[in-house]
Amino acid sequence: MLPTPDIKITDPEKVYDPAEDSFLLLDLFEELRDYFKRKEFGHKTPLVVEIGTGSGIVSTFINEYVLPNGYFIATDINPYSCASALQTNKANTTSFNLDAVRCDLLSAIQDHLIDVLVFNPPYVPTESIPSMPTTKNEEYKWMDIALNGGPTGMDITNKVLDSLNRKLSVNGEAYILFCARNKPKQVAANFQSNHDNFKVEQVIFRKAGWEELSIYRFLKVGGTKSTPSA
Amino acid sequence: MKLLTTNFVQCAVKSCNGSEKSYPLKYEDCQLQLEEQEFKPAFIIAMLQRINWQALVKVAADLGNNNLPAEKPADVENNEALLKELHTLLIETQITEGKMVCENCGHIYYIKDSIPDFLLPPHLAN
Repeated sequence: MLPTPDIKITDPEKVYDPAEDSFLLLDLFEELRDYFKRKEFGHKTPLVVEIGTGSGIVSTFINEYVLPNGYFIATDINPYSCASALQTNKANTTSFNLDAVRCDLLSAIQDHLIDVLVFNPPYVPTESIPSMPTTKNEEYKWMDIALNGGPTGMDITNKVLDSLNRKLSVNGEAYILFCARNKPKQVAANFQSNHDNFKVEQVIFRKAGWEELSIYRFLKVGGTKSTPSA
Repeated sequence: MKLLTTNFVQCAVKSCNGSEKSYPLKYEDCQLQLEEQEFKPAFIIAMLQRINWQALVKVAADLGNNNLPAEKPADVENNEALLKELHTLLIETQITEGKMVCENCGHIYYIKDSIPDFLLPPHLAN
């Protein structure tokens, strides 16, 4: 088993501490090492983008052990997470091929460029999505923003799914984490029926306490049909 | 923010997506820092195949570097001096502070402590 990166969180009250969901992503990417050795992207330096990187542990792990030739952009809406991701990366890798970018999901990333997208979303079903903190007193909200996903926990993930076809490169792929209450099978089937240029499959599943977590791969396989909005 | 990242980012305003004027962003009042890193020629050669050379030349000029040829050099594999220069430029050059301006909508984004901030105010958010 590969060593887990030593995380460097700048503000523990405001940045998501790696938990079972993060570790499921690490275990998946460890399993996928041979897959990525064989995978041919359009070029030898895949662009890897992680949305909502938090501590930066997942991007750092992939950078160091899975795709050392990749170039990494870790995004987060939370400025403390962006700072943490840079520090975690510096403390654990020799390649330093990671940048942190503060933006909403993928809003600042050019279309059709992402070869590998990784997203551990705010998937917890909650009544509503918290607003962004505007004062120092509201900064506790950063943690809610990292977790709360609206009534089915899918409010944020759906936005990313809607932009996937546009953001991924020709044979790019996305790894997105779900909990059982997100109804991932149904989500995957819906996405598949609207995008016949994708192959969607569950790649790992784990019961973690009371949660059932799974990660799906959304692989772009060419073709042209997609929803008009995508 | 590494100079290489400027090749992959764009204005976050939805209506600027795809506009020729909005990419690359214009870099102003930037403070640069060199962060020494291991030279990996194979990485630079492969990266050159995928980056937008014109955008790189424009951003480098914004930052005061006018040495790059206007067209992507063809025989870069055997040109170690150029590879080293590109390594310094793409990977080692950090923009620690500065502004990024969209020449389509005029919005100004800021880079602070090496982190570019593309968050939009609520009235511009998508």
